[in-house]
Amino acid sequence: MIPLSLSETTLPTVTTQAPDLDYWLLSPLLVVFAAGVIGVIVEAFVPAQRRYSIQTALAMVAVGVAFVLTLVQVGALPADSAGLTLAFATVVVDRPSLFFQGVILALALASLLLIAERRDGESAFTGQAAAVPGSEEERAHVLAGSQHTEVYPLVMFAVLGMQLFTAANDFLTMFIALEVMSLPLYLLCGLARRRRLFSQEAALKYFLLGAFSSAFFLFGIAMVYGYAGAVEFAAVRAAGSSGGLIDGGEPLLLIGIAMIGVGMLFKVGTVPFHNWKPDVYQGAPTPITALMASGTLVAAFGAMLRVFYVAFGTTVAQWRPMLWVVAILTMVVAAVIAVTQRDIKRLLAYSSVVHAGFILTAVVAANADGLTGAMFYLAAYGFTTVGAFAIVTLVRNPDNGAEAGDLTQWAGLGRTSPFLAASLGLFLLAFAGIPLTSGFIGKFAVFEAAVAAGATPLVVVGVLSSAVTAFFYVRIIVLMFFAEPAENAPRVLKPGILTGTTVGLGVAATLLLGILPGPVLEHVIPQPAAETSEAVAAEHTAADSLFAR
Amino acid sequence: MELYTPIFVLGGIGAAFVIVSMIVGAIAGPKRYNRTKLQAYECGIEPTPQPVGGGRFTIKYYLTAMLFIVFDIEVIFLVPWAVHLDALGIFGLVVMILFLVNVSIAYAYEWRRGGLEWN
Amino acid sequence: MDPMNYIVLAAIVFTIGAVGVLVRRNAIIVFMCVELMLNACNLAFVAFARMHGGIEGQVIAFFVMVVAAAEVVVGLAIIMQIFRTRRSASIDDANLLKN
Repeated sequence: MIPLSLSETTLPTVTTQAPDLDYWLLSPLLVVFAAGVIGVIVEAFVPAQRRYSIQTALAMVAVGVAFVLTLVQVGALPADSAGLTLAFATVVVDRPSLFFQGVILALALASLLLIAERRDGESAFTGQAAAVPGSEEERAHVLAGSQHTEVYPLVMFAVLGMQLFTAANDFLTMFIALEVMSLPLYLLCGLARRRRLFSQEAALKYFLLGAFSSAFFLFGIAMVYGYAGAVEFAAVRAAGSSGGLIDGGEPLLLIGIAMIGVGMLFKVGTVPFHNWKPDVYQGAPTPITALMASGTLVAAFGAMLRVFYVAFGTTVAQWRPMLWVVAILTMVVAAVIAVTQRDIKRLLAYSSVVHAGFILTAVVAANADGLTGAMFYLAAYGFTTVGAFAIVTLVRNPDNGAEAGDLTQWAGLGRTSPFLAASLGLFLLAFAGIPLTSGFIGKFAVFEAAVAAGATPLVVVGVLSSAVTAFFYVRIIVLMFFAEPAENAPRVLKPGILTGTTVGLGVAATLLLGILPGPVLEHVIPQPAAETSEAVAAEHTAADSLFAR
Repeated sequence: MELYTPIFVLGGIGAAFVIVSMIVGAIAGPKRYNRTKLQAYECGIEPTPQPVGGGRFTIKYYLTAMLFIVFDIEVIFLVPWAVHLDALGIFGLVVMILFLVNVSIAYAYEWRRGGLEWN
Repeated sequence: MDPMNYIVLAAIVFTIGAVGVLVRRNAIIVFMCVELMLNACNLAFVAFARMHGGIEGQVIAFFVMVVAAAEVVVGLAIIMQIFRTRRSASIDDANLLKN
């Protein structure tokens, strides 16, 4: 017969059975997915003028319901349970994954409020993305009041990807989640209403670099698959301690860890994989920037913690040096570049890079405190950054209504709009890590974990970097409150109920987590099991190790 | 070597069929030329005369290609399901119907918003 | 033949793609190089699946193909939009976002 067929002996035996899909435990994911799909149907069959109200209501209700379902599941999870795996063990439901999903959904809701905000019928998004900027066609669409309500299904799919990214239990699911999260975001980046060339360019950059990095991620997965013979985190973890399937396969594992690390570090945006961040944050519509700066960062770190703590939990010695170098580079380089920035969105982008470096010190720690510290830090930073970007949407150029990004224009804003300036001041102090703000507690938690893991030099660099970054945060505060208003002073929009809620949420979370962190640290953040030293962790399987209670 | 014999035989039959039908067509077929018949057998693009630098595709081809390729590739999931139809049973059928419904929703969007119209 | 040869081939193809992304200036070509990298991954997955006598790698290859197709669509949409605005697909021309 055909000579190229596999011989009988190498044919894999396939056993098929219907998987036991627990729809209840998957419900937070399914609700968001259903909202996205229904959103597409609405786009196809509902007349244009009614889509906005349907889509906003649908998206917000879905995210809200998913959030509540996540909370219910946290309560329903047995106290001694290490977590459950679902759907052929591709998805894991444990306390960290539920925590990250809850945070992501809350941040997505806050970002959705910004996305839904319209002024005089104008949203932050272009009326017709297909029209060439500056063309007759574009003008016609502006006059006709066209709008892209496709934004909402796209956001739903992105949020679904973020949720799944933190809940994946194998590398294939994680890769799919990464793409489900990224592809809508690439498109959303290019949909800004004003300065559309910038926006399109941001989309192109984000897309090409993102696709490049996910190819690295995938090749890393291939190498790990070659080493371990499986892509489940538990199997990779076991192979890490037992030596893999192939004789002399150690290089495969090392290449795999490095390349998966590159893909992950790109998504969180650490030096030297940070180049996309300032450009994309600046070019994207600000509500989308808020979503990316908060939700994507939380999701990427959630996934990164799971990969490095669970799948590579038995090979800590191999990856720790790499992350050491990246963390130090990030904290030093980004802080120095941030000082020279003149645009508020670029500055916030570099600030996000520096913060990624701080959180990386918690990943390097590879202990229980590192996990809880990173969780707290991500929640705190997420709410603060959404609030900061919400404020950016309010400060506009007086002539053309575009956002006034230039920092010189922000001079004297504390006198003309004290509440707005005070809120931004609070957010900046939280970024700087001043006591009584959430940023301080977060930094304290991650640095404490790093010291406990013997990464004291890293903490020294981190503290120095904090000092440098505090300098430029304080400089903006001084500029806002103690400088004369600039000649081209911006027009400050009165925050609508939507944007106002987002800013309020940011302020409340920043203060609450800063002044009363105790209850959150004790009750909200999952506490891993006590015995978590590397030696002990190595003996445990994925399910009952660090990520277990 | 004898394992390859069927392939060679098949290749030979294929080549013979092409040659024979071309010869038969050239001898037996009626010859009434018109403009359309003289165009290249190509889906859409006029290959000659070649503009300087090889010419450019109109951008609409990319649009059509994009819309096509998504649905084209989704079919990939049908193959393993079809191969293992028996073993997957009702569960497989339900899952596959759900999958196809999702794909159809995207198709409905494309159709309703004019993605399938050339102009 | 030793399946490891396929892995080496996959690594070479992946490297060609990566180098292409870094040195080429046309967005479409850069993008094709990314697709080349994804296909190199697929080759590695399938070769490893053969080595291990499992089927998981082949299934992963299916998923990667679908993801790659979705990525093509999103990427082409973005590149087309840039092209229509600027009449150029060079990534060097897209340089507004530099301070």
